[in-house]
Order: sequence, then C-alpha cells, then structure tokens
Amino acid sequence: MASEPSVRRGDILLAYATLSPAAALLILLAAVPSVFVVMIAFQHIEIGELSGRFVGFQNFLWVLNSREFYAGLWNSFVWVFGSVALEMLIGTALALLLNRAFALRGVARAFVLAPYLIPTVVAVLTWRFMFHDLVGIVNFLLIDSGLTDSPVLWLSDRRYAMLAVIIVGVWKFLPFVVIAILGILQSIPNEQYEAAQIDGASGWQQFWRITLPYILPVFVLTALLRTIWSFNKFDIIFLLTGGGPLNSTTTIPLLIYQKAFDDFDMSRAAAIAVVAFLVMGVLMTFYLLAMKRSEQNQ
Amino acid sequence: MASVHVSNIVKRFGAETIIPGLDLEVRDGEFLVLLGPSGCGKSTLLRMIAGLEVPTSGRIAISGRDVTHMQPKDRDIAMVFQNYALYPHLTIYENIAFPLRVRGMRGAQVDEKVRWAASLVQIENLLDRKPRQTSGGQRQRTALARSLVRDPSVFLLDEPLSNLDAKLRHSAREELRTFQEKVGLTSIYVTHDQVEAMGLGDRIVIMNGGVIRQIGTPEQIYHEPADSFVATFIGSPPMNLVPQGDRQVGFRPENFVPKSQTPAGADVLDVEFRPHRVEFLGSDCLIYGMVGNPFEPAAAVSRIPSTMAFSFERDAAMPFAVETRHVRQFDLKTGLAIGSGAGIDG
Repeated sequence: MASEPSVRRGDILLAYATLSPAAALLILLAAVPSVFVVMIAFQHIEIGELSGRFVGFQNFLWVLNSREFYAGLWNSFVWVFGSVALEMLIGTALALLLNRAFALRGVARAFVLAPYLIPTVVAVLTWRFMFHDLVGIVNFLLIDSGLTDSPVLWLSDRRYAMLAVIIVGVWKFLPFVVIAILGILQSIPNEQYEAAQIDGASGWQQFWRITLPYILPVFVLTALLRTIWSFNKFDIIFLLTGGGPLNSTTTIPLLIYQKAFDDFDMSRAAAIAVVAFLVMGVLMTFYLLAMKRSEQNQ
Repeated sequence: MASVHVSNIVKRFGAETIIPGLDLEVRDGEFLVLLGPSGCGKSTLLRMIAGLEVPTSGRIAISGRDVTHMQPKDRDIAMVFQNYALYPHLTIYENIAFPLRVRGMRGAQVDEKVRWAASLVQIENLLDRKPRQTSGGQRQRTALARSLVRDPSVFLLDEPLSNLDAKLRHSAREELRTFQEKVGLTSIYVTHDQVEAMGLGDRIVIMNGGVIRQIGTPEQIYHEPADSFVATFIGSPPMNLVPQGDRQVGFRPENFVPKSQTPAGADVLDVEFRPHRVEFLGSDCLIYGMVGNPFEPAAAVSRIPSTMAFSFERDAAMPFAVETRHVRQFDLKTGLAIGSGAGIDG
C-alpha cells in the first residue's frame, strides 16, 4: 500500500514524458504560428518585418469588403461541394460494388485504392500532361470519339479549369471514401440480410432498410471530414492551375498564398486566414456534433 | 402446421463434403433438436431447410411441397438467429413489424399483428425502445416475436440461447418450450448444448461428421445410445467405456456404485474399482479411479448421491458393481451398439 502513491506518480510522469514530444511539436509548428498569424492580422506589416503598427480591425474590414475574398469563397464552395459530392456518390457506389463477392475482387480493391498512394506532385503532373491540349490523352479520346472537334483547353479556359481541378481531386481522394464506406459495409452482420431474406425483403428493400441506415452515420462523418480537408486543400490546385486562369480556381488557401507570397501583403493574408479559420471552426463544430451523435447511437 | 422431409441431401463446399447424404423427417408440431459438436453439419442442414444454402443434391419438402430450390421467403418458415439479427436502427416495434412491412402490409393490420406477437413473448412495454436499450433476454424474445408475426408453418432456431448467461438460459429454455407448446409450431432447433437438447426436444438428432448417429427421444438417446460416439457425447460425465476383447463395455457413472448400494437380488456385474479422488458437486459426488477385474485396467467415474456415506483408501481395490440391465456393449471397431447387457464375460 505504501508504494501506491509513488507508482501512481511514476505513471503520471511517464504519461507526461511520452506526451511531451508530440505536444512540443504541436505547440511549435501549429500553436505558435497560429497565434502569430492572429497577431499580425491586427497589424500593418511591411515586407521583411516581423511586426508592425497596430491597426485594429482594418485588415478584416478590407477582407469583408474585397471582391477577391468573396470570389475565393465562391471558388472554395464550388471546389468543396463539387468534389465532396462526387467523391461521396462515386465512392459509396464503388464500395457497394467492392463489397460483393466476385472474381479478382482483391485486385479490384487494390486498383481502386492506388490513387491514394501516389504522391500528389507525381499524380498532378501526370494529370497536367493528360489534360494537355495538344498531346493529352483526354483530348485525344474526346476528339477520337467525336464528342468534340477541337481540343478542350482544360487548364487554360476558365469554363473548364474548375472542372479539371475537381476531377483530379475526386480521383485522388475517392479511395478514402471507399475505405471508410467499405469498412462499415463489412461490419454489417450477414445474419441481418439472411433474416431479411427469410422475412421476404427484396434486394432493394434490403438496401434501403438495412444497408443505408447502417452506413449513414459513417457517410455523414466522412462527408464532413472530406469537406474540412477539401476546404484546406492547397497542393492539387496550386500544382494544376496555380489558381488560374484569371483566378477562376483561386480558392481561399490559394488566395492566402497569393496575398502573402505574390503581393507580400502579410497582414491581409493573415486576416483572410483568420476568417477562413472561423469558417473551419463552424464546419468542425458540425463534425464533432455528428461524431457525438453517431457515438451515442452505437 | 407442417412436416419437413429431407431426402438424400448432400452438401459440399468446394472439395469438402459437409453432409455426405442425409435423410430426416420432422413430424407435424414436433420440437426436433439437432445436436452435435461444432462443425458436424447441423447448422448447414438447418440453413438448407431455411433456403440460405443450396444443397449440392437431394430434396427438401415442407408439407409435401418441394422447396429445394425455392427462395427463403417462399418457404413459409421463420428463423431465429444466434445473435438475433435485430436491426439496430429500428425500434422493437419496427423490428417486429419488418416482415409485415416488406410484404406490403400497412396500417391497423400491422399494429394488431405486432401487438399480438409482442404479447405472446411479453414485451409489450418495450416496443418503443431500440434493441441496444434492451437486455439479452429481451432481444431474444424480440427475435421470437419477429419470426412469429407472420404465422410461419415451420420455426427454425439456430442456437438462440447461446448468447444468454447461464441463469437466464435456464429460464429462457423453459419459456421457449412452454411457448412452442402453446403455438404448436413444427420447430427445428440447432444446439451444441446437450442440456438444452435434452430439456427441449421431443426428439433429438445426434449428428457427427455430417452423418446422423441417432434419432430418438431424450430417454432413448441417453439410455440406449446407438454407438459409442452418442454414449460419450451425451451425459456429463460421459458413459464409462471400458475395453474388453473385441468390445467396449459401457455403463453410466450413476449406475456404477459400491456393491453394497446395489438392490438386493438384482442381477449385477461385479467390478473391482480403485478410487483415487472424490469430487464434491453438491447433490452428487464424482469418484475418479481405475477399474480392474474383470476388465483390463482403465479409467472410470462413479457418481453417487452426496448423502451416501463413502470412504476410501487411495488406490485400494473396492467392490463396485453395475446392474446388468444398465450395461451396454459396443463393437470396438465400428463403435455400434450390440445387444444389451446380457452375456457379459466375467
């Protein structure tokens, strides 16, 4: 009994010791820069300076009155909504397909998951090549099949650039949705379907009354998580179009980058980042609420 | 009401033969238990009757109607699964209503049927709950209600009590049997638990390796085992089997008692017994030891009431005996029962 408090103290020390490296990294790489960003959003900073004159909400007023910000927000909305909707739709359909027994299912599963494993830079550069107006396979196939007479300027026509970005985004992150939905599909006990068969439920009724209610919580969580990640996505768009043509694919993260490193306007970039952070906060709240609800339902 | 006929049914999974050819008849209104160790094919047989597995060959008929290649829903059967297979997102009410709704029944008719089925198993007060808000026993009753709500003619049960704790299992067994007698449904019940089988079955089918070893009432199975497998599978501890020449001599532990305890004038087989350990089980005591003359030395167990005075010297020979009417004999090679206790050597 006498040694109990010291054992407990040892446990606590061990806990702190193992947590501290991760905590230190998080503080240094996330917390400190975040605080710094919030601070400079309230200052006027010239290029090369670390701090400047306090200007109150001036930078935020600029953000809320600038057409650039709303254009970026609209582009973000189109990108997020477009890619997440397609990912969820196609991903769920693929998961349902891959959950059925057929020959070479293992190969098919590996094939579907492959895009997730290819480094983004490699994948995007390959896609750029495929979208090329003169030598790209996409245009070759479109012209060859007679769908169009002249090449589509996928990355330099503002009517198609966002579509191209969404196609690459969906291709890259589809596997995540497939894994999540396939995981929950495989956890549905087979007896549920057998009982339904005996009760006289058709395949369609089994899908509506068993499969769908089962996957719905995971579907909602995955969609929210993909929304949050897509909202923050930078690399794919930057590598594919750089935000162009004519800012038609400049989403909020790209706008922040352009303000900071093209216009060297750190203060306004920081202000946009803070507003974006608040938007994320709202999404995150939805995510946590959905998570709590799905935990309660288990 | 219905009878079930299984004729010459074969089931193979790939190269593996699960059931090499089996015939079975389940009588109208009967409670038949399929009993056997795991992997003996009893669940596969039940699933073939349900239509969840297609037999490789053979024929299954329910009330004279060939159902071998019919969909499960067209066989007029109901099934209760080991884990109940309740839908977690539906209330108990909607779970019970499920078979009616998928068949297109609506409104007051559904309500009336659901309440009738719920009252049969006494869960009327749980109808608004989700399955996770109920106990194991209540879920089992819900599964029963769901399977009964559309008046099936055959009732299939796949180890429905094995997820309950021991105490609950006992009362659930009793309720299940009372309930079956009340509704008079032809029932086929799969279990690996011999106590459940003995307590529930009108008749028991003992299976091993995809083959039926014996069909009979619990009494027949216990007292007249058809072979040495049945003799040792049923009873706890199992029947003592002692080799003698080209035979095995079998006697149940409760029939193997100190010579002084056998009824006066009864025809008995005297056996020398060297006890080495006594286990106290409450109402009974188990005495472990080695039999000797007239047999080769072999391990055996005696079961005596704990009220009986018994003292022993470890490994010292004592006079024990079995009434000859309780002695069974089995062929050493085939394991099949031969005659009854008469004509034993010694």
